Amino acid sequence: MNRGVVAKEDERYPALLKTISDAPKKLYYKGTWDPSLFRACLAVVGTRRMTGYGKRVAEELVGEIAAAGVTIVSGFMYGVDATAHKSAVGVGGKTIAVMPCGIDVIHPEYQKDLYEAIMKQDGLIVSEYEGGFVPTLWSFPRRNRIIAGLSQATLVIEAGEKSGSLITANFAKKFHRKLFAVPGPVTSSVSQGTLKLLEEGATVVKNAQRIISWYKENVPELSQRAQGREKAVAPERDTPQKKIERNILEYLQREPMEIDNLARTLGISAAQIGTVLSLMQLNGLIAEENGKYYIKN
Amino acid sequence: MLIKVPSASHFGLDSIGVEVEINLANRGLPGFDIVGLPDKAVDESKERVRTAIINSGVEFPQKKITVNLAPADIPKEGSFYDLPIAVGILAAILQFEIPSRSLFFGEVSLDGSLRHTKGALLFALFARKAGFEHLFLPLPSANEAAIIRGIHVHPVENLQEIVVHLKGENEISPIEYQDDFSEIIPQAEFNMEEILGQEKAKRAVEIAAAGGHNILLMGSPGAGKTMLARAIPGILPLLSEEESLEVTKICSAAGIIPPGGSLVRLRPFRAPHHTISQIGLTGGGSRPQPGEITLSHRGVLFLDEFNEFPRSVLESLRQPLEDGEVTISRSRERVTYPSRFMLVASANPCPCGYLNHSKKPCICSPREIERYRKRVSGPILDRIDIHIEVPDVDIRDLAQDSRAAKFVEASDVIKDRVMKARHLQEKRFHSDRIHTNAEMKNVHIKKHCSLPLEAQQMLAKAAAAFHVSARSYFKLIKIARTIADLEGASSIGVPHLAEALQYRSRVYDAV
Repeated sequence: MNRGVVAKEDERYPALLKTISDAPKKLYYKGTWDPSLFRACLAVVGTRRMTGYGKRVAEELVGEIAAAGVTIVSGFMYGVDATAHKSAVGVGGKTIAVMPCGIDVIHPEYQKDLYEAIMKQDGLIVSEYEGGFVPTLWSFPRRNRIIAGLSQATLVIEAGEKSGSLITANFAKKFHRKLFAVPGPVTSSVSQGTLKLLEEGATVVKNAQRIISWYKENVPELSQRAQGREKAVAPERDTPQKKIERNILEYLQREPMEIDNLARTLGISAAQIGTVLSLMQLNGLIAEENGKYYIKN
Repeated sequence: MLIKVPSASHFGLDSIGVEVEINLANRGLPGFDIVGLPDKAVDESKERVRTAIINSGVEFPQKKITVNLAPADIPKEGSFYDLPIAVGILAAILQFEIPSRSLFFGEVSLDGSLRHTKGALLFALFARKAGFEHLFLPLPSANEAAIIRGIHVHPVENLQEIVVHLKGENEISPIEYQDDFSEIIPQAEFNMEEILGQEKAKRAVEIAAAGGHNILLMGSPGAGKTMLARAIPGILPLLSEEESLEVTKICSAAGIIPPGGSLVRLRPFRAPHHTISQIGLTGGGSRPQPGEITLSHRGVLFLDEFNEFPRSVLESLRQPLEDGEVTISRSRERVTYPSRFMLVASANPCPCGYLNHSKKPCICSPREIERYRKRVSGPILDRIDIHIEVPDVDIRDLAQDSRAAKFVEASDVIKDRVMKARHLQEKRFHSDRIHTNAEMKNVHIKKHCSLPLEAQQMLAKAAAAFHVSARSYFKLIKIARTIADLEGASSIGVPHLAEALQYRSRVYDAV
């Protein structure tokens, strides 16, 4: 495995990162150091206590953005961070993990598969700390400045009121970078941070196109590829089964629902709803997360 | 003067004959001894019997009394030797004959009255097998023994009464068993109609009951897992006459039949706490006693907080789950107890309990959650066909939701469907020595669950899409078979399999 260190004076050192006031003197890395990785970077951060909603949003947004050629930068923590890395890797995109520890330490350790997948797909493991440095309480917020510093923009998906993601967001503001946030239900504790950012002027993100078009405007180098995927559902003949399917889809468009709720709303037994939902899921119309069904894009 | 009174000793659910020999000697110092490997309860019989006889108004003889429980090399335990010993001594003092082909059983109280004693049914069974005609036992235990036809069960209130009877002065008439088998309708703790919402979980429970499938309910605290589990006995068919006798035997041996109680009709429901020891669950002791798995024979064993049970305790369930019986071997004896129960387990989704809760946040790390879930081993989970998540519900919302009322059904209505499905299974398996779909092995699946081409294709697709393992594959077919039975369909179709997919384990089967 390739590994090395890039000093601040090195011409390979990411130009964007160099502009911040306390840029790391050295960057240790594992993987292939390709300067084109740093051309268009989006920091994706969020809570560790991700909800089903957060996971879904992270997967959909990041997948599309990474497919468009933007490098996803995140902190390798479980929750939103890991989901962002995974989604990028999943669509064959590039991703950079900025570790709060030395590059030889995998933290959290059980995400070893992800750690290897990132490098396998020409991504990078980066840290300002030497090889075996063990993460400490202060190294987590410190590395957040690198995440924000490497990226033209930062996207926050689900953050609690005192979340570490807000630290990253504040760095982004301090460095005069663009800040995106995904709104969440006002009742959720992990929406309070993102809602606060939105109140303070972060840009609302409804879909991946919003971010991709921002990159196209502001980062001219970004190659013109991967348009949004089109999908069309051909109308089929109306069997009773299809009628239930249509009803289900209509409700799921509003919000993800559990079987029990669907049964009550549609007045159909849980047994029958379960049967239809299984078939719809097999046909790729809907997906399930934590017992709730939602429409698959 | 030597008097012999027949009695018995229990081994697990079997009994062997024991003869109580009582000798009153005029020579030697006055005394009272019991020999023949008595345990403490038998040995203390001396004091109870002596005091009871005195309190019954009979003068206790100043002689050397020796009681021998033959055969002398088998350990004897229990308090039921009181009555045969007392009767033997009284026969010697008051000069009456011990009637032939009569058995005596029961513990005496210091005032001479007889107390409810465990094991009456086992004794009655032994009496019939060994050719006895009369059984004398305490009044509160008489109903239990009277289940057995072909012997005369004489309920005895106190020592005076039995003396009068044995002297031929006034008869204790035998009681008749009231054959009201169809009249008693026992009630489960909860009726399914009391449970609002949880439509999917209720359906899963119905399927589990219909096919005898083991089921795992996973959900946050307060979601209603326990209530669902406790409602299950009410939707299971009543015990058949044969099953009833099996269950009553076990209850009799364990001494959990209340005074005056008779045949057990409702399927047992046992819910041991998670601090239970392995012996407590499977049975054991130097004289092996039935454990919870035997006490829930033909009924429901509910293990709440499944992940909190020590792993070694859960692992001990493997063989009984497979074989429907457990053999407990100890240095002195070996006993086999039946243990064909339906396992209902409930678990929290994570250590804090609030993963995926609609209101409260979960505070566990993925590591903690993984470690928590791994406390239950794969082989145990393999034996649980139906896995279901029970979401938290807002009772106030549901109570006002008129749509929820539409899906509320009484336990009796569900029970009727369950019984029909069970009937179909009995018919299907009459030559296979199994009773329910849950007991099917691969051979039976091949024989009884042929899938139409369409269904095969769908199953293959599902297996790939949901990472269904080979073992889960067979579980799906078994559940689909039960769903088809509930519908009265002779072959498994695509809709049955599609519904069965809902009950696969999303937590444990995912990669």
